[in-house]
Amino acid sequence: MTTEVDMSAWHLEPELIRRYVAGAVGPELAASAEAHLMACAACRAALASHVDSGRAATIWADVVDRVDAPRPSLVERALVRLGVSEATARLVAATPTLRGPWLAAITGVLAFAAVAAQSDERWLRMFLVAAPLAPLAGVAVAFTSGLDPTREIGLATPYPGLRLLLIRTTAVLAVTVPVALAAGLALPGPAWLAAVWLLPAAGLTSAALALTGRLRPVLAVGVIAVGWVAVTTPTILEGKTGAFGGGAQLGWLGLAVGGVLWLTAGRHTVMMRLGRNS
Amino acid sequence: MTAVRVVGVTKAFGRTRALESVDFEADRGVTGLLGPNGAGKTTLLRMIATVLAPDEGRLWLLGHDPARARERTEIRHRLGYLPQEAGFHRGFTVFEFVDYVAILKSMTDRRSRHDEVRRVLALTGLKSVSGKRIRALSGGMRRRVGLAQALLGDPELLVLDEPTAGLDPEQRLRFREMVSQAGEGRTVVLSSHQTEDVAALCTRIAVIHQGRTRFVGTPAELIQQADGRVWTDTLRAATALAAWRTGDGTYRNVGQPPDGAELVTPTLEDAYLLLVGGAELEVLA
Repeated sequence: MTTEVDMSAWHLEPELIRRYVAGAVGPELAASAEAHLMACAACRAALASHVDSGRAATIWADVVDRVDAPRPSLVERALVRLGVSEATARLVAATPTLRGPWLAAITGVLAFAAVAAQSDERWLRMFLVAAPLAPLAGVAVAFTSGLDPTREIGLATPYPGLRLLLIRTTAVLAVTVPVALAAGLALPGPAWLAAVWLLPAAGLTSAALALTGRLRPVLAVGVIAVGWVAVTTPTILEGKTGAFGGGAQLGWLGLAVGGVLWLTAGRHTVMMRLGRNS
Repeated sequence: MTAVRVVGVTKAFGRTRALESVDFEADRGVTGLLGPNGAGKTTLLRMIATVLAPDEGRLWLLGHDPARARERTEIRHRLGYLPQEAGFHRGFTVFEFVDYVAILKSMTDRRSRHDEVRRVLALTGLKSVSGKRIRALSGGMRRRVGLAQALLGDPELLVLDEPTAGLDPEQRLRFREMVSQAGEGRTVVLSSHQTEDVAALCTRIAVIHQGRTRFVGTPAELIQQADGRVWTDTLRAATALAAWRTGDGTYRNVGQPPDGAELVTPTLEDAYLLLVGGAELEVLA
């Protein structure tokens, strides 16, 4: 409780009050002025006439909001600390792919592929076919109606489909790529094997996103994934790793960049087909 | 300008024709779509909510054409939608979930968005549970969360698909009160297969059956259609389209009455039964 005392002997100078309100006094002088203000009604009244009431109301409403709004989840707080806006952090937290069961499934499949690769060189090569499918599948899962409980509500909102697609895809890549990389590091071959699928994965994901202007995400991913498996499996089983060679890597990089450029150029005209017929 | 205008809309899913050349209009106030399960109500409401496009025919919503991308976005800014099976992120709290939908509704400023979330939670009586996880709520409370998110941004058009489905009688009454309040000053289109809901809430009704509009008008006009076609008897009448034993032991018969029958005042349910046929009786039972 504040105790009012007789401060008639000394009051803050008008010039000091003006500078204090403008935030132009040093921390020691400010602390001293605040100690006096706590106890002196006359100086508080003098100070009040200098304060912008609109600004004070805004600050107070902000304080109330921060105290009253529920504390965001651990994931959201971590994302905000990394510089992500709190609105985007909430959208990421709602991405179906980032739930435990799906992450467990993808980790399980890649762990199995890594273990199998220890026993046979053909399995080792097949890991390269499987690894890019992890982020691709993650993107599809992020937009599957059965897994996104609020899909129907989301479809009726004006939030830009492309932005939502990119936010969720980034979140999926941020989680699935490290898992696939870790599995790759457990492979018996040379270390570069663990990373050689990264650019193909980026190219395939980018192509799937670009196709989302024409097909639903699940279908777009399906087309790309089936195409990838159908083309690479026979050659890689014969021991040809051309899809991962130096020239091919440049091609994958070009596809990744091209897909992103195409999406960016068409962001105002291309509607993402995030739902059936929508 | 009519808020919702649907002209000659047809929609098929595979070989099933969900809607067949349907015309429909709704303006300020609560308009109800009445019809048995599978009649096509949800298909029509999903089109009005801009999440489904028709195979044929056109829609104008709030003066805009949802077939055009930019106009569709404009409609979505002014639309609230409660789907029949509204899903929730069950790990979110009530506040977090409604805030999530507010973000999708492009409310970017954090503080004004939070103020709006608090406003709709207060409107739907959810203020005291705003910090509770959705998985801990009862079905009735979850339905309220669904209504709360639909009311975000004070939309001009509110689309509610079976808003009272799965609620117990008391919850239904409370929900009706909320929908009735929400209907003041805006256009509400809701669907139901419960005639009591429609009778209690709607100023206009469209009866849909087997993908076609069978009636459009006021509840009084629908009831009028059953005048002289409902009677009570000690027996189930052979000529009745539908008949059931009431609490006082007599049979309420709906159909073509015999001469000298003891006619009674029809209800909305009687008129609805006459319209869609006795086969739907078991749906209502």
